[in-house]
Parts: sequence; structure tokens; C-alpha cells
Amino acid sequence: MSDVSFDAAAAVSAPRTRRRARLPVPVVLALGWLALMLLVAVAADLLSPFPYTALDLRNRLSPPVGMGGAWLHALGTDELGRDVLSRLITSIRMSLLIAFGATAISAVLGVTLGFLAAHFRGLVEQAVLALVDFQAAMPFLILALAVLAFFGNSLPLFICLLGLNGWERYARIARGLAVSAGSQGYAAAVKGLGASPWRVYGRHVLPNIASTLIVSMTLAFPEIILLESGLSFLGLGVQPPMTSLGNMVGYGREYLTRAPWILLAPSSVIVLTTLSVSLVGDWLRDRLDPTLR
Amino acid sequence: MLRFLGLRLARALLTLVLVVTFAFVVLRLSGDPALLILSADAPPEAVAAFRQAWGLNDPIWQQYLRYFAAIFRGDLGQSMRDGRPAVELVAERIPATLALTLPALLMKLGIGIPAGIYAALHRNSFADRAVMLLAVAGFTVPSFVLGLVLVLVFAVQLGWLPSGGQENWRHAVLPVLTLGIGGAAVLARFTRSAMLEVLGQPYMRTALAKGVPWARAVRRHGLPNAAIPTVTIVGFMVGSLLAGAVVVESVFSWPGVGRLLVVAVANRDLAVVQCILLLVATTMVSANLVVDLLYGVLDPRLRAAPREATA
Repeated sequence: MSDVSFDAAAAVSAPRTRRRARLPVPVVLALGWLALMLLVAVAADLLSPFPYTALDLRNRLSPPVGMGGAWLHALGTDELGRDVLSRLITSIRMSLLIAFGATAISAVLGVTLGFLAAHFRGLVEQAVLALVDFQAAMPFLILALAVLAFFGNSLPLFICLLGLNGWERYARIARGLAVSAGSQGYAAAVKGLGASPWRVYGRHVLPNIASTLIVSMTLAFPEIILLESGLSFLGLGVQPPMTSLGNMVGYGREYLTRAPWILLAPSSVIVLTTLSVSLVGDWLRDRLDPTLR
Repeated sequence: MLRFLGLRLARALLTLVLVVTFAFVVLRLSGDPALLILSADAPPEAVAAFRQAWGLNDPIWQQYLRYFAAIFRGDLGQSMRDGRPAVELVAERIPATLALTLPALLMKLGIGIPAGIYAALHRNSFADRAVMLLAVAGFTVPSFVLGLVLVLVFAVQLGWLPSGGQENWRHAVLPVLTLGIGGAAVLARFTRSAMLEVLGQPYMRTALAKGVPWARAVRRHGLPNAAIPTVTIVGFMVGSLLAGAVVVESVFSWPGVGRLLVVAVANRDLAVVQCILLLVATTMVSANLVVDLLYGVLDPRLRAAPREATA
């Protein structure tokens, strides 16, 4: 798209008076939910009552507690008698792993390209900008669909592919900030002292733009979760026997009328997680970096 | 202005060339289409004949040039599945997709923009908080979840509307709602922040200080300035009229371009996927070009200074 939107957004509303207030309640709740999700992801093996692929053929499509089910399968079971809670726990781990991996990849890629553009200017910069335009001009889902199905699908490839989503935003930010840092005293000063470009960018420019980057990463994180779950929902993302949140929704869709719980559990987790990250991201942005607004 | 136009046009063309190259490289180098179409244990003669027929034996750059030349002739190859021209297959799906995305676009614009402006003008009021809450919810609920929940409520529980397929307008209601709600939320959020930013600018204060009434200041100075960032995102929405319904079409088994794409990708039908990629890229790039021109109209400063000044 164009720089105009970004710059218009960067021409900030007046800095608001900063109150040292307590955390707003929604943010506390969101942080609590995210902590829970992280815990679940880390301790997935300890927490899940059954292996996520284990069949319990005597309890197929058994409803969750509260809809007439037993505590044995607290969130019910699916058509094959697999425990929904265990699958949910494994899915949370998978989806978070993918989201973290992809966010990290796109941030590193974007920042590197942005710095390269800012450092070399000229042709390199034009090439990076053309790539940025290309990336911003295509709906990423379409690109991802094409790549995925034609390269076949494996987990590392899938993560790398999602890592290509949104790098152009980091590149734009990193380039813009690095260029303006170049005209500020500190970058010129360390350069004058004989620091290598690696040192200038890695040790001096990067820390100075870190808060902006962290905020953009938080804002991009829910997008990756939605993308992953969307692709998995279409059957083109994480492949069985592995499972992810979107995968579970896609599977549960077949049983929408008979066993809606299969689909509702992962759907709620997706919604709550993206909602929480967005809330925290918005709050961070307001606190750390109002220029992104 | 001419220079501005030329630069934009060149960029648009470059993007298209990149898309074609991307499509070609990714789709052609990723695997042997012959083995995929014919299955791995097909007799070698059949594979050889297939490769010959589709020109898969030639060096890759020849295939690439041929592909480019074919595109200029409007020939995007045939579907490897049923041998019909890919363009035809895709073209016959376009009306179905537009039947969903056009009403959804109207819904996004009709709800999102007014809601965003209202929220900005009544900042921190109850209405503002409600709009923002709904907007965040609309942004964080993925379309397939929203669609399935709507199906669960309106088709399964209440039985008011059909859950999928495409026979009459009733079948379109749920998919259009699904698309429209999510988009309206994004647009409302975006419009609100664009508007808030403008309201804090010095020229608004100047206008009010010299005695311009509030409503007139908003109309004359606020809205036009807030329109600039909003136009960008609306342009993106217009550009994705053809591609924006991939997931929703799948949820509602709606026979549009998106469903075709998913099926073609699952079948590794090269020609059809390339054709859709190119179609989507062209709509997207044209929409962006129009947006750039609109910038010129909306903001005279941009006519003189194309990129460097703003970057």
C-alpha cells in the first residue's frame, strides 16, 4: 500500500498526560488469560488427562460437563472418542508455538531488510521497497494458499511461511527509524568512534527502536493466530494427526448439529487469546509508543 | 502530477510482474505436476506423454517466457483436471463471489465509517466504548468462528435461514453478515483513530478559535483530512472483493472464486491457482492505483512529492 497511511498515523495526536494509574481491569484479565495459555502450552504433557490421539470408543461424542456429560471427559469427546480437553491442550501448544515462531521470523526478517535498506540506500533500498509494495499489495492468505499446497506441507515450512506475513511492516518501521536515527547524534557518534555497521545497528539503533518493534509484534501476533487457524480450518495448515486450534474447529464443523462442543471449545480459546493479545497490545502501544497509534 | 502518475503506474506494473514471477516460480518448481496429477505409480510412458503435452520438459526459462507471452494473449492455460480453460473456470465463479462481497462491502462502509466517526466525536462516551468493544470483538473473532456461530444460531437452533449452498437470496444472508460484521469492525476502529488524530490537529483548534461552529469545522476540516487514511483501508477492501471471501465461502459452501481456489490448491491444479493469483493481484493493484490517485485529489501536497518526501 502506501507510506501515506503510515505517516499519517505517525503524525501523532498530542502526547497524553501520563497517569501512573493501576492496570486497567480488562488488561489484567487479558494478562491472566495469556499467562494461563502459556502455562498450558509449556506444561501440556502434564496437564492433559489423556494422550491427544487416544481413542475411547465407548464414549464417542459424549457431551461435556454441564451438557450432561461426565467428568471423565470434562469437555466431551469427538466422533472417535478422543478427549476434547486433551486435544485442546495440545492444540493450544501447537498454535502458540507457530504464532511465536512466525512472529519472531517476520520481525527478524523485516528488521534486517529495513536496516539493509537504510544502510545501503540506493538500489538495495529500492529493491526492498518494491518487495514491501508487493507484499502489501497481495492478500497474504492467497499467497500462503498457493505456496502451501504446492510445496506440500510440513510444520517447519508452515511456520516459515507464516513468518513471511507482516514482515513488510517491520521493514518499513525499521527503515524509517534507522534513517532518522542516522541523522541523530548518537549513531554518527559511534560511527565516528570506528564502530562497525553491525555494532551501530545491533547495539545502538536496535535498542532505540525496540519498544516500537515490540508493540508492533504484539499487534501482529493475533493476526498470525487468526491466519494459522484459518488455514488449518481450511485443511491446508497443520495436518493430522497433529492438531491445532483451527484444525479442531474445521473438524468440529462436521458435527455442528450433533456435537457443537467439539467446535466451541477451540473457538472460544482462539477468540479469547486474540482478544487478550490485542488488549495488551493496545495498552502497551498507549504506554510505550503512542507514535504507532 | 504526471510524474506522480507515471511513478505509481510503474510501481503497479512492477508489482504485477513480481506476482507473475512469484506464481510461476513457486508453483512450477515446487514439485513434479505430472506425478501429482497422474499419481505416483503411473506408467512412465503416460508421465512422459503428459510432460510433453504440458511443455514440462523444456528449460524453465522457456516455460517462463511462454507463460508471460501467453498471459499477454489472455491465455492462462487449462485446468489440469478437466482440460477447460482456467480463465473460463474462474470467470464463471466471479458473479457468485461478488454477490457476497459487494453487499458486504456496502455493509462495512455503511456501518463502519459512521460508527467510527460517531465514536471519535463522542470520545469516551458510552457509545464510544460500546463501538470500540464491538470493534475489538469483531476484529478478534475469526470469520469461520463467526460464520459457524451464526449457522449454529440461525440455521440449526432457530431454523430461519439455510446453513449453506446457493439457491436464493436467503442463502446469501449469513455469509454476507459474516463478512460485513468483521469488516465493519475493522473499519470503525480505523476511522475512529483517523478521526481522533485529525481532531487533535492545530488546524482544528485554529478553525474553532476563529469562530467556526463545531459541526462546520468537523465537516470542512475534520472529515476530509480523516478521509485520507480511511481511503487506504477502503481501497484494500475494494481490492479484495474477489479474494476476501475464501474462508467464508468455504464455511457456507458457496461456489465462488474462493472455494474454487481452495479446491484447486488441494488438487494442485496449477493453471487455476495461477489464474486466481493473477486476477486477485490485478484487482488489488488497480484498487491501490485508484487509491493513490484519490490521494492526489484529497491531498494536493502529495501530487508534488511522490515517495521520498513522505517516506
